[in-house]
Amino acid sequence: MNFKRIAAMLLAVVMVFALVACNDTTDETKTPTGGNDTTPATQGNQGGSELAGTYEIKVWCAEKMVDLTTNQIKAFNEKNTDGIVIKATVQNVSEGEAATQMITDVDAGGDLFCFADDQFARLVQAGALSKLGTQASEFVTKNNDAGAVKAATINGEIYAYPMTADNTYFMYYDKTVITDPTSMDKIIADCEAADKQLCFDVGNGWYLASYFFGAGCSSDWSTDKDGHWVVNDTFNSDEGLIAMKGMNKLMSSPKFDSKSNAAEFDNGAAVVVSGTWDSSTAKSILGDKMGVAALPKYTVDGKDYELGSFMGYKLVGVKPQSDAVKAAVLHKLAQYLTDKDAQIERFNTAGWGPSNLEAMKSDAVQNDPVLAAVAAQAQRAVVQNVPDGWWNLAAALSATAKETGDEAALKEALKTYNDGVELLKNLKPGLLFVGAWNGWNNAVVEDTYILSGDGDVLSLTLDVPESDYMGGRIVNNGKWESDKGYAQVTTGKELAKDLGGDNPDNNIVFVEPGTYKITINTANNEITLEKVG
Amino acid sequence: MSKQREEAQAVMKRHMGLKASARISNTVIHIVLVLMAIIWLVPFVCIVLQSFRTETNPDGTRVTWMVPYIVPKKWGLDNYVNLFKSDFKDWYLNTFIIALVVAAVQTFIVLCMSYTLSRFRFKLRKGLMQFMLILGMFPGMLTMIILYRVLKDLGLTEAHAVPGLILVYVASSGMGYYVSKGFFDTIPKTLDEAARVDGASRAQVLFKIILPLAKPIVIYTVLTAFMAPWGDFVFARYIAFGDSSGMNAAVGLWKWLTQDMINLRYTMFCAGGVVVAIPVAVLFMCLQKYYVEGVTGGAVKG
Repeated sequence: MNFKRIAAMLLAVVMVFALVACNDTTDETKTPTGGNDTTPATQGNQGGSELAGTYEIKVWCAEKMVDLTTNQIKAFNEKNTDGIVIKATVQNVSEGEAATQMITDVDAGGDLFCFADDQFARLVQAGALSKLGTQASEFVTKNNDAGAVKAATINGEIYAYPMTADNTYFMYYDKTVITDPTSMDKIIADCEAADKQLCFDVGNGWYLASYFFGAGCSSDWSTDKDGHWVVNDTFNSDEGLIAMKGMNKLMSSPKFDSKSNAAEFDNGAAVVVSGTWDSSTAKSILGDKMGVAALPKYTVDGKDYELGSFMGYKLVGVKPQSDAVKAAVLHKLAQYLTDKDAQIERFNTAGWGPSNLEAMKSDAVQNDPVLAAVAAQAQRAVVQNVPDGWWNLAAALSATAKETGDEAALKEALKTYNDGVELLKNLKPGLLFVGAWNGWNNAVVEDTYILSGDGDVLSLTLDVPESDYMGGRIVNNGKWESDKGYAQVTTGKELAKDLGGDNPDNNIVFVEPGTYKITINTANNEITLEKVG
Repeated sequence: MSKQREEAQAVMKRHMGLKASARISNTVIHIVLVLMAIIWLVPFVCIVLQSFRTETNPDGTRVTWMVPYIVPKKWGLDNYVNLFKSDFKDWYLNTFIIALVVAAVQTFIVLCMSYTLSRFRFKLRKGLMQFMLILGMFPGMLTMIILYRVLKDLGLTEAHAVPGLILVYVASSGMGYYVSKGFFDTIPKTLDEAARVDGASRAQVLFKIILPLAKPIVIYTVLTAFMAPWGDFVFARYIAFGDSSGMNAAVGLWKWLTQDMINLRYTMFCAGGVVVAIPVAVLFMCLQKYYVEGVTGGAVKG
């Protein structure tokens, strides 16, 4: 009896402690995020005393940059005249990973973080980036390459500081094999003669686009204020056909290899199309034999076209802060870390190409063969502005180009692509019903079930064949996650299986095969199921 | 020649026939097994060989990326030396601390739990067992986000991820009592009673009578308790949240697989893989005998 009483008391004490501990720490770490978009970010060189103080911050950057960033922050502490002392923890979170980490827990994310521009929209949406004030925006627009500024802008507002403008691809080649790096035809001939591979990963949409951009096509996706796509996509055209023919020419060479790693030079390659990240590898393997150049011209029906490319940027973002002073300090630091000198240091350490106009013009950068190739390629590069669903559509094009050079087949592939694009951009009535019956496919047009109709009420009639899992879900075009599903079925609930809690994807699973009519009212997301046959 | 002898020879011939066909089928089976073993072992052999690869480029830098041949042209320990100069030593130490502590604490909890459920009869014993059975059916991953929040509020994430992870791994260990309880059930209760009559306490019975008899199961429990945190990735990554000092080896090595690092780290990554495998391999080799006994031992009675 006694023992029980003591045990109970002990438990109670432990629980109280646990609760207290929770409260304490939450209060301390609670920093409301996203609410201070109006914070007047850094005021340039205004009287510093307001900002004076010691700040503990967390910085996320790529592994290659950890040491450099630590030193740069140290230098910032010594140089700044505002009495700012920054105690930074610099952590290795790569630019590709930063957005995912940030969105998982903005609170625990880095106060300053580096990320790739293709994650920009996601980060803004998640409230993980604080808007730049007038002066900071001016700093960005005045000093940086126009493409880089565009990559940091959404709806006319700038949300991040450009750090590099080099995320594109160009050509590394073996000078002893390639005689003329400006002509794709000659490169192919040289590779075949020397029995060496030509590595160009056109199986991947990112690289494949270069043929289309070269022929004069474009694919540019942005959204208007209402969230509708504004799309300019001209792949399905005579120019697109030229690109397909050019690709077919490359891909039908026996020495063509759909790869993009400079380590392939060790594997008997004479040409690798890759980016700045591979420069040290290529240099190590090829030594003096290494040549770097912008992508060559390709020839179709006697006419030359210069291969284009996508261009990407790395940006530095500032997390929204509850403390306006700290925010101002962070913006100041972000500017320091992306100014001319910092970018040149980054170039010297890891060969990262600057986005700062002055840094671009510096001798060191001008004399670097790799960055010269980047600069040459940048003339014909396009800022990457395509949605997630686009990559699969594009990759399908190269699959056709590899198989056949037949004009009708190539046109057909372009038409399929175009149908996919139409589907992808049709966001408003763009609700699809995907499921086991079409292999959970939301990219291939013929196979896709679109809910259509006037106004808010959309519907679809489909056959559900007998199978192990007769389930599917309503998704937005090009997306996988569903927020409309079983939970909102109001009429005809008996036609679907009640999976209870075991339905995280909100799937609608039919009890028996048959023909069903599915109706959704997008105004209130109410779903009606009817069996029509 | 006697008839008997002829008969004996005939019998022998028949046996020979049997032997020959047995030999053929054995050969086929062995060939298949060897092929399977080769397919299964190739990745491991490659990793080990790559980890000793130390060729240099014409410009003096190391060939640290993937190459099209398997057998190194130049052997050396550079990859291992560099590995332990990098952050890997912290990750490895973290993993080791987590695994050791979890192995010790979890074994203790599991054995006490099993003993209690096997020998004690108390109210709601059945109910408790059923409850834990049902609880155990929920995938642990479901609780990840909640656990993350709780640990974060307790300050046990990022740099302090090691105690946080220990807490997570140990917390539910009581539910893994099935195998050892099954084994304890097979040990006669009369032993306990005899000891109790001689004046031993319950604890003394467990530690002095039962455990020496249940050596295989103890070792099995230690091994499984050690293995789970040793190879964990998902939880460990979530809780370390990008802080290098709180990572375990799996998460840390994974960080090297980015586009701009992989060519510089590939051989080190392989060395890391080998180093991670060593303690587990050694443990298994030493304790293999008991492990098999342990797995099968508890299966006699549920």
